[in-house]
Parts: sequence; structure tokens; C-alpha cells
Amino acid sequence: MSLSSASPQPRINAGRSALWLLAGLTMLFLLAPIAVIIVVSFNDTTLFSFPPSRWSLRWYHALWESRAWREAGWLSLWLASLVALASLLIGVPAAYGLAKGRFPGRRLAEALLISPMVVPVIVLALGLYMLFSKLGLIGTPTSLFLAHTLLALPVVIVIVGAAFRRLDGSIELAARSCGASFPRAFWHIVLPAVRPALISAGAFAFLTSFDEVVLTLFLGGPRTTTLPKKIWESVKFELDPSLTAVSTILIIVSIAALLLVEVARRSRIQRQAKEAL
Amino acid sequence: MTLVAASAVPSAKAARAWRARPGLMIAGALAFCAIVYLLPMLSLFGWAFQGPAGTGASLAQLSRLIGDDTYHYAFFTTFKIAAITTLICAMIGYPYAYLMATTGPRLAMLLTAAVMIPFWTSVLARSLAWMILLGRKGIVNEWLTGWGLLERPAALLFNSIGVQIGMVHVLLPFMVLPIWSILSRLDPGLPRAARSLGASPAAAFIHVTLPLSLPGLAAGATLVFMFAIGFYITPALLGGPNDLTIASLIEMVVRDLLDWPFGAMLSLALLGLVALVFACGAAFAGAGRIAGMEGR
Repeated sequence: MSLSSASPQPRINAGRSALWLLAGLTMLFLLAPIAVIIVVSFNDTTLFSFPPSRWSLRWYHALWESRAWREAGWLSLWLASLVALASLLIGVPAAYGLAKGRFPGRRLAEALLISPMVVPVIVLALGLYMLFSKLGLIGTPTSLFLAHTLLALPVVIVIVGAAFRRLDGSIELAARSCGASFPRAFWHIVLPAVRPALISAGAFAFLTSFDEVVLTLFLGGPRTTTLPKKIWESVKFELDPSLTAVSTILIIVSIAALLLVEVARRSRIQRQAKEAL
Repeated sequence: MTLVAASAVPSAKAARAWRARPGLMIAGALAFCAIVYLLPMLSLFGWAFQGPAGTGASLAQLSRLIGDDTYHYAFFTTFKIAAITTLICAMIGYPYAYLMATTGPRLAMLLTAAVMIPFWTSVLARSLAWMILLGRKGIVNEWLTGWGLLERPAALLFNSIGVQIGMVHVLLPFMVLPIWSILSRLDPGLPRAARSLGASPAAAFIHVTLPLSLPGLAAGATLVFMFAIGFYITPALLGGPNDLTIASLIEMVVRDLLDWPFGAMLSLALLGLVALVFACGAAFAGAGRIAGMEGR
């Protein structure tokens, strides 16, 4: 970007400027809908005017006053927390086994455990409906818990597995040869070494459940109205301004999760830099 | 390591047990997937090939699928949407990923954040945002007519334009991230070497950088196409009656017609198509490159 007068330089800069123009428009395209829905949610009128002529929190107030929305919020929060916990509990050991283990069928097991990610959710929904209706689980929170954990598990395995692969195996061998049992070495040495990945995996597993719609629509009932399910049902009926307020809440939860992940990643980098000094 | 007593040196047998132990740690996840994933997927086969009286095998559902033009139309629509989405994502995603990989750390961070925030934001919230933006009285139309660029509001919602905009918005990160991943690991000395040997910037890009980044582009295209053919929420909310995709068709067949065996057959067809796209992509880009990006 120097102001060099050499003849090839301006041409590169022209190409570069065109690239930046395109990237700027792409950023606008990516972020505009999110920014617009946040701004519109603070509107004082029932119209979706942008920018709002008068600002207010009335739609947030309306949400808070509505028992149905509050209950949906609590259910979403609980469900997503339990899904994050469960998918970490079974996903982290599995990621370790797949990353460090040498056993026949490892690749097949890995393909099986990651593949729910690429199967269209509507197909999963159909299959799970058939299974859960036989077990009498349709319309219960349990069915959503199991289905969401199925979607969150590959997220955990991919993120934590990548961290285990990068991990230097010798620290664990050192702990083992100093007499630590395997569970002890795993808990005190291996897991703390991949903590940022555990935080990302937990945050993304949480979001996977918190934002899930299709499985919830198919497997849920009147007792399992999560925030996305309630949004979906309302959108199909009428575009109500309080929906922009719920959407803003969903967006803020996502951004908070991303910030958490970024903070965890940075604290790790800083600690490594300090240790290196 | 010199402090360690000789007894801690593992014998060959202990070493083998040590390596086998991690294998046992996947047991929990495997058991969970066997019940909540494999069993339901297999039961789809059962339903799809079940005889009319519930006994014996039958190809009735398959012949219905092959014989009816309505279903062909849904497959055609789905492929059209997926192909256009993949093409647009590649055209805007490649330059974006290129800048992300070649610019300084601060701007790269900004570009990355602009991809990651929508990536992890609820698809439902984003589709809702597009409904507010693109409606007949929506913000885009208000502004375009207000500025005199349009005489009457354009139809941007509940048709294929709305679907395409929403789909590109949802799937663009799946194109950007694999391309960025490969470009950021590319040795910057390679295009520079081409330049120093007299190649123009364009020639250096076309003959050096682009060919080396093709696997990333292939992985991105595979992911976008694969997710596009199975997508449900965005076409259902932003599309009109003419934008009936396979996923919407499945939902309709099951919910409105309560025809589970045919829904199961359509699901298997969709699953087969996804597997086919994945196999093609894996042949070109390598399964690992595609699978690595699934983790977002």
C-alpha cells in the first residue's frame, strides 16, 4: 500500500482496491441483516421502519410480560445447557480415542460419529420420529435432548479432536511415567492442555441446540416449545415486531458465545507467550 | 526423563494396551450413535421398502418416486437452487477468502468476524431479517423506490430471488472457510517467485495461486452444494409455492398427507444424493479436507 511511483505498483493497488470493494460489499451483505434486525427491534411502532423514528424497549417488555415467551426462553436455556454437557461428556473421550488411538475400524468409527453433521436434518427428523414414537417420547423434552445431542456430538468431536491432534503426546507420557494413572493423567494433564477447545466445543454445542428448529418442530409438542419453535410458529402466522426482539436475543447469545471462545483462545496464546519468555 | 526409574519403561505388551485404551473411550459415543442415529436411519429403509399390508418387501414407493413428474420437479428445483447458490458463493467467496489470507492480521480479523458472526447466528433469525428487508413494503424496496431507482416495489420475497439471497447468506461461510484455510497455509514465496521470473500479477495468480487453492474451492463447493440440497428452513420461509424443494416436499408428504412410507423413500433419495455429492467432492478435494470444515 506504499505510494511508490514504480509503474507496476499502481496496477496491483487497483486490483487490490477492487478486491476490497467486493469484500466490503460482501461484509455489508453478511452483516446488514443482523444489524437491521437488532436496530428494528428497538422500534416504537408496529411497522418495521428503519431507522426507527422513535426508539423504545416496548417489544422486549412485551416479551418479558408474556408467560409463553418466558417459558420458551427457560426451556431453550436448560435444554442447550444439558445438551452441551452431555455432548462434552461423551464427545471428549471419543475425540481423544479417535485422535490418539490406533485400533482397527478407527476411520469407520470416525466417519460414523461425524456423519450426522452432513445428513439433512429433515431426514434425521423423519428417522428419529419413527424411533421416538415407538418409545413414546414424541412431545417430551427427552426427545429434544437426545436429538440435539446427536447434532452437537460431531461439533464437539471435530473441535476437540483437532486440539488433541495438535497436542504434544510427550507431556502425557511424562505424567504416566511419573506414576500417574491413565484417568489421573487425562484429567490433570491432557484436559487442561486443551481447555480453549473444550470451551469452544461447549459453546458451539450449546448454540447448536439453542438455535435448532427442524428437529424441534418434528419431535416436539405443546410441552416442548423452545424459542426457535415459537418464532417459527409465529412467523408462519404473522410477522410480529416482538419477533425481532427474540431474534436479537438469539443473535446476542451467539455473539456472546463467539466472544467467550475468542477470549479463551487469546488467554491461551498469552500464557504460551509468557511461558516462552 | 532421566529421573524416571527403569521400571517405568513400558514393556511391549503394556505399550500395546496403552495404545488400545483410547479405543475404548469411543464406546460411549458409538453406543449413543448406534441407538439415536443408526437405528433411525435403518428404520427409514424399513418404511420405504415395506409392503402395503405391512409385511414383505415392496418397491411401490420407489416406482411412485420415479413415475411422477411432480417429484421430478422438486428434484429439479432443489438442484437448480443448489447449483446457483454454489456458483454465487464461489464467485464472492473466493476473493473474500483471498483477502482474508493475504491481508494484515487486524483486517483479517475483521473479515473473519464478518463471516463467523452470521455463521453462528440462528438461521431462523437471519431468515426473519431477510423477510423484513425484502418484503414488498420492506426496507430494501422502500429505499429503492424512495431514491427513485425503482418505480414500483420489486418482488424480492416468496420467490426464487428471496430463496437465493437467503441461501447464499447461510452457506457463504462454508465456501470462505475451506478456501481461506488452504490459502493461508500457502507459501507466499511461490507467487513471488513467479513474479520475479517475469509473470504479471494476474499470470502469477492464474498459474500458481489458483491451481494450488483448487482443493479448497472444491471442498467449499462440495459443502455448499451438499447442505443446499438438504436445506429446509430458508426455502420454506423465503420461497414461494414454485420453490418446492425436496426437503419441503418431505415435510409436506409427512405432515399433510401422513404418508410416512413415501416420506421415508424421499428421505432415502435425498440421503443418496448427499452421499453422491460428498463422494464426488471427496474424490476431488479429499474427504478429510471436507470433513475438517464441517466443524465450522
